[in-house]
Amino acid sequence: MSADRLTSGESARVVRLERGAAHLDDRRVPFEVRGNAARAGAPIEIVMDGRVHRAAALRDGDRIFVWVDGRTFVFEREQRRRTRTASDHSGDLLSPMPGRVRKTLVAPGDPVRRGQPLLVLEAMKMEHSIRAPRDGAVRRLLVREGDLVDAGVELAEISS
Amino acid sequence: MKRLLIANRGEIAVRVARTAREMGIRTVAVYADSDAGAFHVKSADEAASLGGGPPWETYLSIPRILEAARATGADAVHPGYGFLSENAEFAKAVAAAGLVWVGPSPRAIETMGDKLRARAVMEAAGVPVVPGSRAGSLGDADLEKEARRIGFPLLVKASAGGGGKGMARVERAEDLPAALSEGRRLARAAFGDGTVYLEKLLEGCRHVEFQVFGDSAGNVVSLFERECSVQRRHQKIVEETPSAALDPKLRAAMGSAAVAAARAVNYTGAGTIEFLVDRDRRFHFLEMNTRLQVEHPITEETLGIDLVRAQIDVASGEPLPAAWRDGTLAPRGHAVELRLYAEDPVDFLPRAGKILAWQVPEGPGVRVDAGVDEGSVVGLEYDPLLAKLVISAGSRGAAIARARRALSEWIVLGVETNLPLLAETLESPAFASGDYTTDLVESLPRSSAGEPPDAAWIAAALAQNAGSSVTPATHEAVDPWSAPSGWRAGA
Repeated sequence: MSADRLTSGESARVVRLERGAAHLDDRRVPFEVRGNAARAGAPIEIVMDGRVHRAAALRDGDRIFVWVDGRTFVFEREQRRRTRTASDHSGDLLSPMPGRVRKTLVAPGDPVRRGQPLLVLEAMKMEHSIRAPRDGAVRRLLVREGDLVDAGVELAEISS
Repeated sequence: MKRLLIANRGEIAVRVARTAREMGIRTVAVYADSDAGAFHVKSADEAASLGGGPPWETYLSIPRILEAARATGADAVHPGYGFLSENAEFAKAVAAAGLVWVGPSPRAIETMGDKLRARAVMEAAGVPVVPGSRAGSLGDADLEKEARRIGFPLLVKASAGGGGKGMARVERAEDLPAALSEGRRLARAAFGDGTVYLEKLLEGCRHVEFQVFGDSAGNVVSLFERECSVQRRHQKIVEETPSAALDPKLRAAMGSAAVAAARAVNYTGAGTIEFLVDRDRRFHFLEMNTRLQVEHPITEETLGIDLVRAQIDVASGEPLPAAWRDGTLAPRGHAVELRLYAEDPVDFLPRAGKILAWQVPEGPGVRVDAGVDEGSVVGLEYDPLLAKLVISAGSRGAAIARARRALSEWIVLGVETNLPLLAETLESPAFASGDYTTDLVESLPRSSAGEPPDAAWIAAALAQNAGSSVTPATHEAVDPWSAPSGWRAGA
């Protein structure tokens, strides 16, 4: 089987499976699976070194959700993650949810850095920061504080 | 009451429907069209569409909800919490349509919803309030004078706000004028009313609330406290009862104050008086929630009662049960509630997705009030609360051990949740000691789930390889929520 470079939070490993063992980076870890690992989310047991670990896992697009012994982890395949980040840039100045513009943090003409919060949306009790997709300047701000917006409404334009 | 319309969604709609069914009352769910397949719709006897659109055109639309009641022949409305539950206009409209309103009088809702007026009414009733500006002080000059009297740091709060919404912290006198004008602008935008007031910022406090209940015969009782100090961003995530902060004397004093507060507005039905308890163990009225509270189940578990049943009985004109009125009702053991949110475990921002695997904890002393099921789609347009785990046991220590056991059984795959944060909270020495304040969550290490063990990497690799051969179905199923606007959750 092919090797996958997986990440979870700050951790990354190249993981390769072969019959009866996994290679985690350069370390060979013998293991045995009980249960149907081919069925997404089905409970399985991973036996390593005589210890039984209960697990359930499934892949959803680029992400892999894993539950092991009562703890939950989210993994991503690294090259896919890079692709997704790049494609995000086209749409992320659209309102991600219906809500109210709680705060605008920039004005037209302001220079902005990638990741800088531009405005704060509020829906129910949660606040959600809309951030600059790249370095540039605010060309237009299309909403004002207090405005109600639907999902998918354009909020601002950023020039490069 | 024969047919109860539940004007809500999520776990609370499911919870209300369960009791109604036990009472032989038919239940009517309402839903926004995007929620047609939601769990709360399946849990009711019948369901009525509120049409499409954002929340203010569906679950927050009084005309559409009343139309649904007419169309289904409902004779009563339960508002749940959130949405229209504390909207006096809705309460009036329900009554005007000839339906039974399962909640307090519009007048009580109005008085308590105006936080400035509520403070004045509480002071008049002899209930201690958080030190703050007087009701008549509204202009900058007056408020600056009041600020000197109260002292810094203080909070600028929106009179029409509440629940941790619409407030800003001010450290120094010179920052006050800007904070006032900013606060008024935000309050006008968010609540349609720019009135603000000042409250002393009490630090190192515990947030302790009392469940109260009134009936139309004028009986008002206290049903003891809930400790709600485990919060992030002013929203509660873990609650427990009894509170380790109270001794019998303080509990009795706060219970009496809570009853006095509810009496002052002739309160009927279920309500909650929120207090701050400071380092010197003095308590101060914060606000009243004129509805069923999210964390009401821990009171039900320690008292062995059903608050929704009592709400329905009181709304139908019946008096409170005798055991509530004669003081024989006493809490037994300990209960803890843990709220499961769809959110990023590290930055706490809401997450969307589809729940692809869902297995809830079971066993003695474990109750799960869930608003979702396997296959449920979690969007960002509503509160991200997925479910509440309610644990009861003979003692606080046993309840915490049981909560840890139950959390470790909970399998949620497909959407990120705050499960790691809940587990960390239970593990923290401050929570274990019972001696914690509203700063608890901030003091926890803000790690995610931590370094995955070897078995997790192996399970991930197995799923990655299994996925390549099986997943078209899984993949397609996720598209409906991700496709329309092309954005990414939490971006």
